[in-house]
Formats: sequence, structure tokens, C-alpha cells
Amino acid sequence: MNDVLAIDGKQFHSRLFLGTGRYPNPFVQNQAIEASGAEVLTFAIRRVNLSSPDEDAILQHLGDKTFQYLPNTSGAKTAEEAIRIANLARASGLSNWIKVEVSRDDKTLLPDPIETVKATEILAEDGFVVLPYTSDDPALCYRLQEAGAAAVMPGGSPIGTGLGILNPYNIELISEQLTVPVIVDAGLGSAADVTKAMELGADGVLLNTAIAKARNPVKMAEAVKHAIQAGRLSYLSGRIPKKKYATASSTIDFISK
Amino acid sequence: MASVLIVGGGVIGLSIAYECRSRGFEVTVIESRECGGQASGAAAGMLAPYSEITEDPDDFFMLCQKSLELYPDWVNKVMQFSDETFEYSRNGSLYAIYHEADLLSIESKQRWQREYGIESFILTGDEAREREPLLSEDTYAALWCPEESHIYAPGYVAALIDACRNSGVNILEHAGEADLVSGNDRQVKTDKGIFEGDHIVLATGAWSRNWERELKCSIPVFPIRGQICAYKGPELRHIVFTSQGYLVGKDNGTLIAGASEDIAGFDTSVTSHGINRLESWSKHVLPDLKSERPFHKWAGLRPATQDGFPLIGKMTQKPSVFIAAGHYRNGILLSPVTAKIIANEIEQLPQEVPIESFRPERFQLV
Repeated sequence: MNDVLAIDGKQFHSRLFLGTGRYPNPFVQNQAIEASGAEVLTFAIRRVNLSSPDEDAILQHLGDKTFQYLPNTSGAKTAEEAIRIANLARASGLSNWIKVEVSRDDKTLLPDPIETVKATEILAEDGFVVLPYTSDDPALCYRLQEAGAAAVMPGGSPIGTGLGILNPYNIELISEQLTVPVIVDAGLGSAADVTKAMELGADGVLLNTAIAKARNPVKMAEAVKHAIQAGRLSYLSGRIPKKKYATASSTIDFISK
Repeated sequence: MASVLIVGGGVIGLSIAYECRSRGFEVTVIESRECGGQASGAAAGMLAPYSEITEDPDDFFMLCQKSLELYPDWVNKVMQFSDETFEYSRNGSLYAIYHEADLLSIESKQRWQREYGIESFILTGDEAREREPLLSEDTYAALWCPEESHIYAPGYVAALIDACRNSGVNILEHAGEADLVSGNDRQVKTDKGIFEGDHIVLATGAWSRNWERELKCSIPVFPIRGQICAYKGPELRHIVFTSQGYLVGKDNGTLIAGASEDIAGFDTSVTSHGINRLESWSKHVLPDLKSERPFHKWAGLRPATQDGFPLIGKMTQKPSVFIAAGHYRNGILLSPVTAKIIANEIEQLPQEVPIESFRPERFQLV
């Protein structure tokens, strides 16, 4: 199936964006990344040794494989802070892609919509490939697209909760309305949540905790890879309408007389 | 009295031996090579769960917290029975950050840790340097955690060995590779013969995967190499953590910088990449190290697991067999609580912390 995800002119065969935090150890992390088939990896810039990224505690283990790095601005409380972090990431040579993540609330880590739009606008103008993490509000997601986002990343539920997609109606609407790719980010807890996101029309998903904290992260990574394929195929194939009453799957015409 | 046979003379096996002996069991430890010769002897001896665990108050956090709480009494007893002293410094830690964006994560950590009665303070860069003058000007802020402490691991392990011997534990070193005897759940065979115990405890660290064959279940424990280096001074007042590693000063005048997490199988050699990385990072943290070179470098194999939690408890399919392995970065810290859990399991006493997450049979063969 020649069904690729394109962002900023780059084509990806995997629709999984994978976070690099919280793995029990580098061995499990590397195996999980491999099993997932992910081509895009995300990490918090604040955690990285920017003066020598190849010596960083996490990044050094990724070795020779070529990934699209998507550094994020997690920890930023304002647009100004996010912009400073994005510039640090670009100056270090890691990537000109940036996942804008701005939050003021250390308990829910829910994104601040106004600061997110502001940062997206300024960074996109400045030549960054901007992928903002946002709440699942269709109007807001549309505004982010207008602000120059290369893809928009609405959350299914708060980061790390594993609560899945709390508002499937919104995710479906966002996926329908936007012309840039929609990547469902945050809160997905299992393969079922991932399939659901893809069936709703999302172009991809971003996971971290669901894989890193699974009892077997490597097998969960593999499960998620299949879940994306299943959900995507199901979406492209077109599901049947829901009906209240039964319809026999063998119609009367087939019954031999 | 019933007997306990412990396979593995690292800090976990020795602690279990000491605890079981103090509860009146006949205890034998068989060690394939030398006691404390692997990860236990290589450890920097950090007793710092609040810096190490940043994300969730899960069962592992509770386990670490409980063990830290057990430490003062435990150390007293080990010193008393061994008639030896070793460094146990309760001088607190500073988790240094270098980005404004890291504040949110230490605030969030402080918020949930406070609910567990853990005292900590967020210091500005200037306040942090006042407490720890050697910290670099780049230090943006720090989380000061006064309860965290550290121990001189080689001294602790040596004292544990003597505390065991003095209280009547039979320790057999250089016993060679051990294996469970097929069809007999109370016997272990080595080159030196067959050993028996009413209860058998497998405390074999990074080598624990070898038991899969006889126990017929998945035991996903594997080695992750940790490289460490030591400088002669300068003197630090606290343990200093960063996202890239830690620095800790010992009473003997050394300053230890650790540690790498290498995927290198059972190879314990030191590499220039591993040590150079520690050196260049340490200079960022403490500019005084710019003109210093480490005088000592070493490596050990941490027993890592598939889900990051240790395996502690009874094998329900073979109820005379217990596992205590996979403590990864926290073997020294978790030695007292692991000893008590295993002894409680053997005596069928209630546990003081939830141990469901650590059941050794929790892994499916998939």
C-alpha cells in the first residue's frame, strides 16, 4: 500500500511518532523503537545535553539510524520560553522541526491555547517546521493551521494518563476539517486507543508512556504498529453505518430452495 | 530451624542472608566468584530515590522510600555485627537544572512527592551556589532534597560479609556456576557439589536469566553496563544530580562521577567514549574539574529488567524458590527492604509495602 504521510515535503511510511522518555533502560528503549517502526522521534529539549547531543544520556543510544527528530518545548510556560527553546534546538543542529508544547499547569500539563498559537505563528514565520501540541478544540486546531503549523497535534487526553480519546467527536471533526496532517498526541493508553484515533481519520499518532511503561514495551510497540495499520486501513475502507436492528448477513436469496 | 540457601553473594544476597539469619534461620550463601565482586562493588552507593524517580508515585517509588526509611537502623545493625564502620553520609542532594523549562518538571515532582511527606526546596541558581559553591554559573535552579544520602558501597558490602559471618551465616565463595537440580526444588548444584535448603533464594543480579530453563517462565533480566570515574577532590557538600548523571564526594577525598548506561552485554571494560562523556559533562556541572583528570575508572553490570521493576518474591509454581534480582540502578538502596520482603515471604508474614508489581512470574512469554 503506497499510503505515505507527508510533512514539510518529507515522506514517512510509519504513522507513529514515538517519545523517548520514561523507558526502563536504553536496551528496552532501542528495541521498542525498532519494533515500532517509528521514523519520527520526539524528546524534551530541556533534558538534552545541547552542547554535545551525541553524548546525551538518551540520544547517544539512537546511534547510526536516521530518524526525523522532533524536539519539543515541554516545560515552557509562555510562548517566549517556547521560542527560546526552539532556537536552542535549531542552533544545536538537532532539527528545525519543533513540537510546540506550552503549559502553565504542572498537574494536568494541558496546553495553553493562546500561548501555543502565538508561538506557532512566530516560529513558523521564522522558518521552523512547527507541530503544536494542542487541546482537541476544532476551532483552535484550525487557527493553528492558519498560523502556519505543518501538522496539528490534538491531545486525546492529558499526557501520560492513558485515558484514551475523551472526545472522539472533536478528533473526527478536526481530522475532517484540516488540510495539514492531524497527529493525535497524548493520553493514548493501548493499541485499541490507537486504532480508534486512526479510524477517526487521524493521519498519525504520538505515543510515549503507553509503550515505555508497558510491562513489555517492545511487544507493545509492535502492537501499536499493527494497530495503526489496522485503524488506517479500516478508515480508508469505510466502515458500515450503524443501525439499530439486525440485518442477516446471508440474505434470503442465497438460501437454496 | 529451617534452612535458607542463597545463590549470589552480592549486596542483595548478603542482605537477605543477614536478615534471615537474624530471624533464626540456618543460612548458607554460595557465590560463584567473590562476594560483592560485580555491581555491588562497583556502585556509587546513592541512596537517592527522590532524584532518581521523577515521574510517578508508583509501587517502585514506595519500595525505594521504604528502604531509605529502613537505612539508619539497618546500617547500625550491620556496623554493630561486623564491628566495622563505613561512610554513610546523610548530606542531601541538589538536582541541578540548566533550563528555565525544567522548572515545571521539578515543581511537578515536588508537588506529588510532598504528598508522600518528602521535604524538598526549589532554590534559585544563586541560592544553589550558596549551598554548593562549586556549581557552575549556568545552574539555573536546583531542587534541594535534604533526606537523600549515600554510602560507601565497597565498605558497606565488606561489612555485610562480616556481619553475616559473625552472626553465623555460612558463606562459600568461588563455588562456580550454580543450577537448580531438575525435579528437586530444594537443591542447587555447582562444581563444588550439591547444596540444599528448605528455601532457595536466587539473588544473581544480571545473570538471573539463566534460571528461565529450570523455572520455565520468562525472567527478563539483562546487563546494562555502568561506567564510573573518580577524581581526587574537589570537595562537594551534597550529592549533585543532573539529567546527564551525578557527582558525589566520598570521605576518602574522592569525587565520583557516574554513570553511563551502556548496551554491551556482559562486557565490563571501560571505554574512552563512556569516560570522556562523563568527563566533559562533569566539567559543565563543576567548572573546577576543568583542569582535573580522573585517576580511577571502572564499570559494573546493572541488572536491568523489561519493565524497570525488580523481581522480588516467591515462585508460586515452585514455592520453595524465591527470586530477588533486577534492581538495576538501586540495588544498594533497595538491599534492606528486599531482605525484609524475602524474609517475610519465607515466614509468610504480611508485607509492609505492596509487592504485587514485583512478582517474579509477572512476565508472559510472548
